Amino acid sequence: MATQREGFALDPVTFEVLKNAFITTVDQMGEQVLRTCYSFVIYNRDFSSALNDVNGDSIAQGNYDIAVHVGTLHYTCKDVIRYFGDDMHPGDVFAINDPYAGGTHFPDVRLIRPVFVDGKPIAYAQSNGHWSDVGGSVPGSFDVAARDMFREGIRITPIRLWDKGVFRRDVADMIASNTRDPASIIGDMLSQAEATRVAERELLRLVGKYGKETVVAGFADVQDYVERAMRQRLLALPDGVWETQDFIDRDPAGGEGMIPVKVKMTKTGDRVIYDFTGSHPCIGSLYNSAFGSTFSAVAAGMKTFFPDLPLNSGFYRPIEVIAPEDTVVNARWPVAVTGFLMPFEKIMNSIYEIWSKIIPERAIACAFNLEYLLTGGRDLRSPAKPIFMFYDWLPGGWGGRNGRDGCNVTTACFGTGLQSQPVEGQERGSPILTTEYQILTDSPGPGKWRGGAGVRKASVLRQADKTVISYICDRERAIVWGIQGGLPSMPHGLSLTRSGSDTVEWLGSAFSDVALREGDNFSRPTGGGGGFGDPLERDPIAVREDVADDYVSLERARKDYGVVLKVIDIDLAEYEVDVEATTAERARIRALRREWLAEEPETVAQKFRAGELDALDLVRHYAVILDWETGKLLPNSTAQFREMHAKRASAYWAD
Amino acid sequence: MTSLRVAVDIGGTFTDICILDEDTGLIRVAKTASTPDPIDGFMTGLREGDVVLADVALLSHGTTVATNALITRRLPRGAMVSTEGFRDVIEIRRANKEDLWDTYKDVARPYIPRRDRLTVKERVDAAGKIVTPLDEAGAREVARILRKRNVAAVAVCFMNSFTNATNEQRMKAILEEELPGVAITASSDVMPEIFEHERFSTTVVNAILAPVVGTYCERLGERLREGGYKRDLLLLHSGGGVMTTKGARQFAARLAGSGIAAGAIASRYIASQCGFPNSIGLDMGGTSCDVSLAWEGKSRVTKDWYIEFGYPIRFPSIEVLTIGAGGGSLAWIDEGGSLRNGPQSAGANPGPACYGRGNTVPTNSDANVVLGRLGKGLAGGSITLDADKARDAVQTGVADKLGMELHEAAEAIVRVANANMADAVRLISISRGYDPRDFALVAFGGAGALHGFALARELSIPVVIVPPNPGVTSALGCLLVDVQHDLSESYIQSVATADVAAIEARFAALETEAWERMRHEGVDDDQVVMERTVDMMYQGQWRSMAVPVGSPIGSLDAVVLAFHDLHQREYNFRRDGAPVDLYRLNLRAVGMVPKAALAEHATGGARPEPLEHRPVWFDAPAAFDTPVYWRPDLPAGAVFDGPAIVEQLDSTVVVPPGARATVDRYLNIVMRMEG
Repeated sequence: MATQREGFALDPVTFEVLKNAFITTVDQMGEQVLRTCYSFVIYNRDFSSALNDVNGDSIAQGNYDIAVHVGTLHYTCKDVIRYFGDDMHPGDVFAINDPYAGGTHFPDVRLIRPVFVDGKPIAYAQSNGHWSDVGGSVPGSFDVAARDMFREGIRITPIRLWDKGVFRRDVADMIASNTRDPASIIGDMLSQAEATRVAERELLRLVGKYGKETVVAGFADVQDYVERAMRQRLLALPDGVWETQDFIDRDPAGGEGMIPVKVKMTKTGDRVIYDFTGSHPCIGSLYNSAFGSTFSAVAAGMKTFFPDLPLNSGFYRPIEVIAPEDTVVNARWPVAVTGFLMPFEKIMNSIYEIWSKIIPERAIACAFNLEYLLTGGRDLRSPAKPIFMFYDWLPGGWGGRNGRDGCNVTTACFGTGLQSQPVEGQERGSPILTTEYQILTDSPGPGKWRGGAGVRKASVLRQADKTVISYICDRERAIVWGIQGGLPSMPHGLSLTRSGSDTVEWLGSAFSDVALREGDNFSRPTGGGGGFGDPLERDPIAVREDVADDYVSLERARKDYGVVLKVIDIDLAEYEVDVEATTAERARIRALRREWLAEEPETVAQKFRAGELDALDLVRHYAVILDWETGKLLPNSTAQFREMHAKRASAYWAD
Repeated sequence: MTSLRVAVDIGGTFTDICILDEDTGLIRVAKTASTPDPIDGFMTGLREGDVVLADVALLSHGTTVATNALITRRLPRGAMVSTEGFRDVIEIRRANKEDLWDTYKDVARPYIPRRDRLTVKERVDAAGKIVTPLDEAGAREVARILRKRNVAAVAVCFMNSFTNATNEQRMKAILEEELPGVAITASSDVMPEIFEHERFSTTVVNAILAPVVGTYCERLGERLREGGYKRDLLLLHSGGGVMTTKGARQFAARLAGSGIAAGAIASRYIASQCGFPNSIGLDMGGTSCDVSLAWEGKSRVTKDWYIEFGYPIRFPSIEVLTIGAGGGSLAWIDEGGSLRNGPQSAGANPGPACYGRGNTVPTNSDANVVLGRLGKGLAGGSITLDADKARDAVQTGVADKLGMELHEAAEAIVRVANANMADAVRLISISRGYDPRDFALVAFGGAGALHGFALARELSIPVVIVPPNPGVTSALGCLLVDVQHDLSESYIQSVATADVAAIEARFAALETEAWERMRHEGVDDDQVVMERTVDMMYQGQWRSMAVPVGSPIGSLDAVVLAFHDLHQREYNFRRDGAPVDLYRLNLRAVGMVPKAALAEHATGGARPEPLEHRPVWFDAPAAFDTPVYWRPDLPAGAVFDGPAIVEQLDSTVVVPPGARATVDRYLNIVMRMEG
């Protein structure tokens, strides 16, 4: 055998073989869950799997795990170990979903099986899946009006679900009975428990082949290995302190003004500290994050810049997170946290912004804000009038990149494995007809490298009764931003057109329990990604191609990029760049754009109300934020938005 | 006059020819470089194989022409017409990414750009009711624009057309009228199944490949006719059957993945010939390794596949798992200090360090040279292997960095490569509920037989089979197939409320369509076999499993029981009391092509003298003095024990210590662990 290597207990071959075997084991768990699950959320890939060591630390996570669970699976395993201690036996399976113990939110339920060798656990197999419902006051368990967890769903602190191989029906039924879909919940318990058994079988095979000591040494080695690789990468990068902030739109229980999430990153040698001091106290909605989710956002954000490193606790060791208690990034029981993804994605994008400066070849501007739409009621298509639940989420645009446009229509940054749902499936399951689901022209944030395009989806409620709609989104005010001179995209928010009416009501980006009637049309866009670099430096030919494909309109090609196009033949989608007019238009914009950003916000708001400017003009050229329904100026939000716009956009313009 | 069956399998690097003499059952093979116009390589290969086209009774062909057209985007201008509001279904996809973390790795662009995706007012709802009739004036306007754009193919993709195709078919008729000569494909014809992206994507791929495949078939057909060939050309499709050129034009997307299927078919056939209905195929070449699985004589089939991530092709395809492990895969030490293998590869050029073409990073081939498993040359001496360069690469690239002795380092490289392949085999076998101990491993491709036995040992697979011509085994696969069409349609219904008569009627309709296709292809009625399956799942689940059913179906009770059993076997649990749903009806129509028997060789020939003895390292610090045989010298019935090396033109077989090798009457080398 090879000589002993520093930092490794195992020889290099056994190490590499075991490392890959651990990852394959976790992937096999994922495969099993995907093929047998009941929750349509899990089916669309909102799940993750892990192997944890006897301390609960992560040995391996799957290649296809959803980002948002990264960095939380070791916490939940540790909590199960803390609670049950030595009271564990072969055949036991435990469950936990507790966000206050490091979980994400109540729908993410983890099943954890200890793997025994010689009468002692050597590891834990963990399968985490987003159940379709865990009770609470609204279908799908996302209540925008919740301020504490009692409206959100059932909190599962560590419980024993299988006792020495026997399924505890009493406990399982009690949990399932607190949800809207008991049969599926039991199905998902079986599916996830079986996945942990797959991992147990594989680990026991490895123990049979290599011996317990070797396999257990491998658990430690793979974590040390990732830690070492991570530290080496960090060492090679410059030290420094970087600060930024992003915002949640508002506190429904507070006054006007956006809610800051502040991030200060200090990198020294092979360590990074993320300090969230200065972030806003917990707010009066479900848009709060408990510590586990905040840690997860940090880990997932960093992983984006080190995409090839395997995920396990070794990756987390060089990272320290300081998050003051009782803020939006460290909420404690019983504060509502089911909308933790809102602070989560603000942290993710802040980390993108910071690391874009350190590793410019991986730079990326802000991505659209994830969103959920929940509609439920009685389906009158069938005489039994069954309950229906239309639970939808959309893809959108990702940020412009260094030398490349952003990705069009991609799943939100909380997990790019998540699939969007087929309309034909939704229309079968719910009395809803979708009238439009397509790319939204002009949604991309302008830039030298523009953001990716978002979409618009509009649907009509058909034969239904007792139906309500809720919407969970953000960045109606804290608009998706560009970097290095790039511009923002557009406000998120849902519009409602009542049956028989021509009036479009703006309901915005967060509301709950609005009554819907047959024939009502609800429509919402997703933002494009933020732009990267000055849009006036974009190649006019690229703008022409975007217009030919309707990613950008003729009008906004001129307004945002200063590119003037002549229509050659609309049938052939042929346009020509008017070079002279483009040069002149770009010069005109350059001469004026700093003045626009300094213009009195109330004057700008008046122009909006008079129809002289539209919302895209306001956010892109004037950095002014309104109540989009009334056109009323939001002075505090505008001041906050302008401050960041100056740092991210105008500071980078060459002239 | 002789009567030949000829298979031509065109890959990225080589064009392989396999020629079977129907009278003697003897096979001969040829190999030539693939050419920019693949038809040139095709004809060269026939010449090199001394094939007289007038003597050929059957010519079958595996081609990468469809796959390459997709990957390189060398496609004709195609357009898509869809329901107003749904122009971007194929760009939105399911919106997910293949690489979850690398924000600079993008999903490929759609095959039809946004400007060429037009819409028309129309709508059908989930129940099949026409909510908005087709706007005929709008449809004519779309046709006018497309005519002006001079598109070569149009995909018509309307929402819910799988429940009611009236609008979609009317749109197709208008386009056919307005755009004579342009290939028009409607989604309800190609794949009448729920879920718009999967149906539209399949339809789009089918539409844009139709002109590519059509032109190719025409050009190739002409050259073959000029050469004197009088029969139909048979094209291998991803489902593991063949189509005539008529069928290929209509279902062009089925040719995507054609090449990969061939190896799986050959491996299944060879294993069956040796008496093993359960087999795992290991096709290892220079840059990658394809793993396939056959159970009870049938290849595993999947509908979840694509050529480029994000653009599913929902025609059934033989399930093949490809990983980046080949002879040219690079061995390297990463920053965490771990010994890695692949997926980067030195490819064929510059190739492994031992090729002496400038690469100095060690590869699997270099490790095999150092270990003495590979000799001084490949491909009958056309490639010389430089052992010094291999040693230097392994020494500096791995041994020095890990503080290992040279041979130990080479052994380490091979072990990591084998472990990676073993993980791939586990994913396709154990995680599907199969126990490797019930299987035989068929090792082929240029490098398969070098690693096959060690891999089998790792997985506890008891038998390894190396076919007579490992390097051209895929071409053999093309020779062994039947005409095959796969039809399906959505049928979403709970078992409790399902009406057996209605299901029977639906199957009857599918069978009528299948008979039509078979006759269109000129298959005699008495050669046609139909196989039915029903996709089922527990109510509330999202993935279904195909359960074979009889014709007529009879009672659903037996079908449900079969479903519980299948669920138990694959997923290790069942819910006997739980309600079960039907999801889809599938029909496979097979037009049997009469098979010629491969020659059987009399056993009992004497074991030949080895060419030489050379030192070969196996898991030990010291080398074994190992005999090296020349495979053409090995007669049927020869038995020998490892350690031994068998060299042949297109491959090298490693028989490690403890293994016993037998040459069977088809000249396969069959290896088993002794003791």
